Amino acid sequence: MNKIKLTLREAPKVVLESEVITPDRFLDQSNEEIRASVVYHGKRQKRLDDFFDVDGERSDHIDIHGDLTRVRHIGRGMTRGSVTIHGDVGMHLGAMMSGGAIEVHGNAGDWVGGEMKNGKIHIHGDAGQQVGAAYRGSVIGMRGGTILVDGDAGIEVGMRMRRGLIVIGGAARDFVGLQMKGGTIILCGGAEIRTGAWMQRGTIVSLKQLALMPTFAECGAFNPTFLNVYARHLDQLGIKLPYAEEQGRYLRYSGDRGVPGKGEILIWEPVG
Amino acid sequence: MTCTLGEVKNRADFIVYWGGNPAECHPRHFTKYTLMQKSRFLPRGRKDRTMVLVDIRETKSVKAADVFLQVRPGKDFELITILRAMIKDQPISDAQLAETGLTREQLQDFVTRMKAAKFGVFFFGMGLSMTRGKHMNSAALLTLAAELNAFTKFVAMPMRGHGNVTGADVIMRWQTGYPFGISFNRGYPRYNPGEFSTVDVLVRGDTDCNFIIGADPGATMPKPAIEHLASVPTIVLDPHVTHTSKLARVHITTAPAGISAPGTAYRMDEIPMPLRPALESPYPSDEEVVRRIKETILKKPDWMGERPQMLTSQVG
Repeated sequence: MNKIKLTLREAPKVVLESEVITPDRFLDQSNEEIRASVVYHGKRQKRLDDFFDVDGERSDHIDIHGDLTRVRHIGRGMTRGSVTIHGDVGMHLGAMMSGGAIEVHGNAGDWVGGEMKNGKIHIHGDAGQQVGAAYRGSVIGMRGGTILVDGDAGIEVGMRMRRGLIVIGGAARDFVGLQMKGGTIILCGGAEIRTGAWMQRGTIVSLKQLALMPTFAECGAFNPTFLNVYARHLDQLGIKLPYAEEQGRYLRYSGDRGVPGKGEILIWEPVG
Repeated sequence: MTCTLGEVKNRADFIVYWGGNPAECHPRHFTKYTLMQKSRFLPRGRKDRTMVLVDIRETKSVKAADVFLQVRPGKDFELITILRAMIKDQPISDAQLAETGLTREQLQDFVTRMKAAKFGVFFFGMGLSMTRGKHMNSAALLTLAAELNAFTKFVAMPMRGHGNVTGADVIMRWQTGYPFGISFNRGYPRYNPGEFSTVDVLVRGDTDCNFIIGADPGATMPKPAIEHLASVPTIVLDPHVTHTSKLARVHITTAPAGISAPGTAYRMDEIPMPLRPALESPYPSDEEVVRRIKETILKKPDWMGERPQMLTSQVG
């Protein structure tokens, strides 16, 4: 497969805004055109090859190597192809994307998949704050697609999300699913406080006990039928969601009554 | 939703201080605006007003309050969300209420009083906006105030401290459309607190030069931010020697605004107040220093290059 390989020569001193690194743009660009792409180093316009070594051309598969902690907006608004990052990456990874796949072998910054519409993001390390969240002043966050984080995540995961799936393998911090309007968040390692605050609709599944808001009402324990189907879908993504009755059951909580909302939080309670 | 302190003075019959200690931090607030003043609509002054204090501990302000609600530390967001549910008659169990450290009678009384008020005001302090949850705690109280407008007139106003902090917000707002956390690196203002707000930028070390006017982040910000201030060129404009100016590469002494330099300060309700200098100072004003720096910078070549340079696919 024809691939474009970008290697960061040295970490930028200030933030490097490089929304040009998307499969959509590189697909019909020659090596010279890719090298000449404009990136913003702080306030200054620079060429992409001031920072990166570029190998390959005309492909929608991009491999990036190096410590990209200060490189922001990679894969912004992408619709196809793939981006693979070997190293840590900065904010707004895959924001507003509507297709394609991003894989990060390292940690990611804030706003991973902010307001994304479709596609898949897989972070093998930790993610920052506001995963799949809405930008400030925006009413709707993530509208579809899948975000998988193997490690921990920061505050406000899935803030105002409308549809889609977020899976956090490690522990999440405060305000998971803040004001969420739909979609699914799966917390494999639990979360800190105020999970599901102000949620209107949507589902949060937690495999660990949660400290819930006082505005959630207890609605009994059961094994929801849809989780059997959902668990099979998640199995394809490599996530094991327990659902069998002999293993345990889910405690269901409904809220947030402050809104008032009809969101649900399902907390797994294993047998014994 | 907010109003001026003049409106509070003339009309507010229900005043809530949340997470603040006005008796010690804003000592003239009670007498000048909120409690003691008589007006056409509140002819008996203090007797026509009700004051509720919500805080985690008993402070000197308790004496001035009609009702004191002692909330458990770190439970403000939960309490406000419960109140949001209660004003809509949503059921909340006693066990859930107990988490906030208050009883059902106290909260039901508070809700009844809020709904019965003619003009209610929330004043919220750092006890709310600077504890765990931060901006969401403030957002919760603002939302509660907005929702109470289904029943009566209600407004919320932050209790601002320090010199002209409101002024900085107001000026940034009418100049750019955003109050703080703004980046101009693309030649137009972009707003994103958490990404461009001062403390986050400094903690991550995303700057290669800092220019600080009339503030002392070296005294208040977290350690990594202070270390970053010391590690890159920092320029400080301040009348005094501060923690920040000791870290800075350059410290330009300026005339203190309002004492030796004229200007406009904004009151906490965003009313501009002209300041007339009382004393003369040998130092230039902040405005003059910034203007002279700007004139020098303008002689350099334009850095913006080709326009437009909007962040692509920002919408849609």
